[in-house]
Amino acid sequence: MPRAGSPQLPPGGAVPPAPMNIGEAADPPFAVLPDPASLFGRRAARFAELAPEHPLEAYLRFLASVAGAQRDCLDGLPEPVLPPPVELERAYTHSMPPVPFGRFEADAVFDATLTAFLDRLAVADGLPQASRDAIEGLRAADADARRAMADAVLVGSIPEDAVAPHVLMAAALQVHFTRAAARLDASRLTPVADAACPSCGSGPVASMIVGWPGAHGTRFCACSMCGTLWNVVRIKCLLCGGVDGIAYHTIEGAPDVVKAETCEQCHGYVKILHQHKDTRLESVADDVGSLGLDLLLAEEDWVRGGANPFLTGY
Amino acid sequence: MNMQLSRRQLLKLTGAGAAGSALGAFGFGGAEEAMAQAVRPFKLARATETRNTCPYCSVSCGMILYSLGDRSKNARSEIFHVEGDPDNPVNRGTLCPKGAGVLDFIRAKTRVKHPMYRAPGTAAFKQVSWDWAMDRIATLMKEDRDRNFIAANKDGVTVNRWTTTGFLAGCATSNEAGWLTWKVTRGLGLIQVDNQARI
Repeated sequence: MPRAGSPQLPPGGAVPPAPMNIGEAADPPFAVLPDPASLFGRRAARFAELAPEHPLEAYLRFLASVAGAQRDCLDGLPEPVLPPPVELERAYTHSMPPVPFGRFEADAVFDATLTAFLDRLAVADGLPQASRDAIEGLRAADADARRAMADAVLVGSIPEDAVAPHVLMAAALQVHFTRAAARLDASRLTPVADAACPSCGSGPVASMIVGWPGAHGTRFCACSMCGTLWNVVRIKCLLCGGVDGIAYHTIEGAPDVVKAETCEQCHGYVKILHQHKDTRLESVADDVGSLGLDLLLAEEDWVRGGANPFLTGY
Repeated sequence: MNMQLSRRQLLKLTGAGAAGSALGAFGFGGAEEAMAQAVRPFKLARATETRNTCPYCSVSCGMILYSLGDRSKNARSEIFHVEGDPDNPVNRGTLCPKGAGVLDFIRAKTRVKHPMYRAPGTAAFKQVSWDWAMDRIATLMKEDRDRNFIAANKDGVTVNRWTTTGFLAGCATSNEAGWLTWKVTRGLGLIQVDNQARI
């Protein structure tokens, strides 16, 4: 049987002198936009799936509640406000992220998102006291304090004496940016930089080798903030762009579906998930689930380059 | 030495433990300790993925060679998997059956790893040095060229052609290697050249 996309043979006629598709030729789209409900739903399910018997079980169960609250708060939120069409057009035509994190505005939609997220999270079972304190702290914070926290999260400088409320702020910002990115035009996004999201400009949490039909074996970076996936060539350091001295580290004996792509030039690494081998892998959840790999890499002085608010401090 | 420290590493150096991390902040410092205990007995395994070009034909498909082994520790690295390079615009991740089976070619017991010579009239190949092989080839080329070189055709027009020897070069060659092949062979007057420089 000819594959889908192969030229149709005329009945009883000669075989047309055209090449036929005899393999899975990879022709990946540049960017894939997130669907907020399925993104956070899958993430919550993956956290819950990773948790049993895991050394981080309690933390993974807590993050399953966080991702569940991110998903559940989506219903009934007001429509996000995108930049005016002229600015979107400028971004599309000049390789800039259309909803850049640097121009975040704590508008009424974000306030509603943060409130709805905290309300959903507050009713989750088995929350640690520290998270209840963080929820109350965020609820009590005035607009200026919230704004300062959001800015600290977005520029990646979370103060170490107030990590918990900032991590919850980051979770609310993920919802906010994911909803905005979902309303962009994927076909018009263009590369900004290897390690910068074409939707919001944030760094990747990890990259994934995907097994999608028509893109088999290609690599996509997953945005740590808005969940946009973008295509980057494989075997290249996302942090410094180097292509020499790239290696893949795993924990000896463990399933090698989560690897660290290390670079001898900049001595950094970003994890790479082999989703084509295990379709359950989810960038944020499996990044946390593979913290053991980070701990071993840190002992050899590799510097973590993936961005993930749930692993703040590593 | 230029050292980069993550906040986590700095805190570890200063003995601050789980403070400042997301786990510590939410009260899961114990889970972090459990994680560290769980991985402590294990080592890191290192593998590489290397881009290369298929050695067979002039389509020159991109390949990714997967190998295990730590080069820095003088361990022998072993290629354990080969697949088409999905980023290569020539083949977009595909390989023909011959290219897909290249792992057996790499590992073949009969793979030729040294210059081999079978003297006329003998039955077996024997290993020779590269120097010997190059000298032998050069000598034979010169003999044949001296005997058969055509400087001018029957009308007296200078043609400088050498038609009795052909030259078959590699396929996975770069532009520069292709250019050199052309310079050398054409300079000698060779007509029959296939260096698969059409890629």
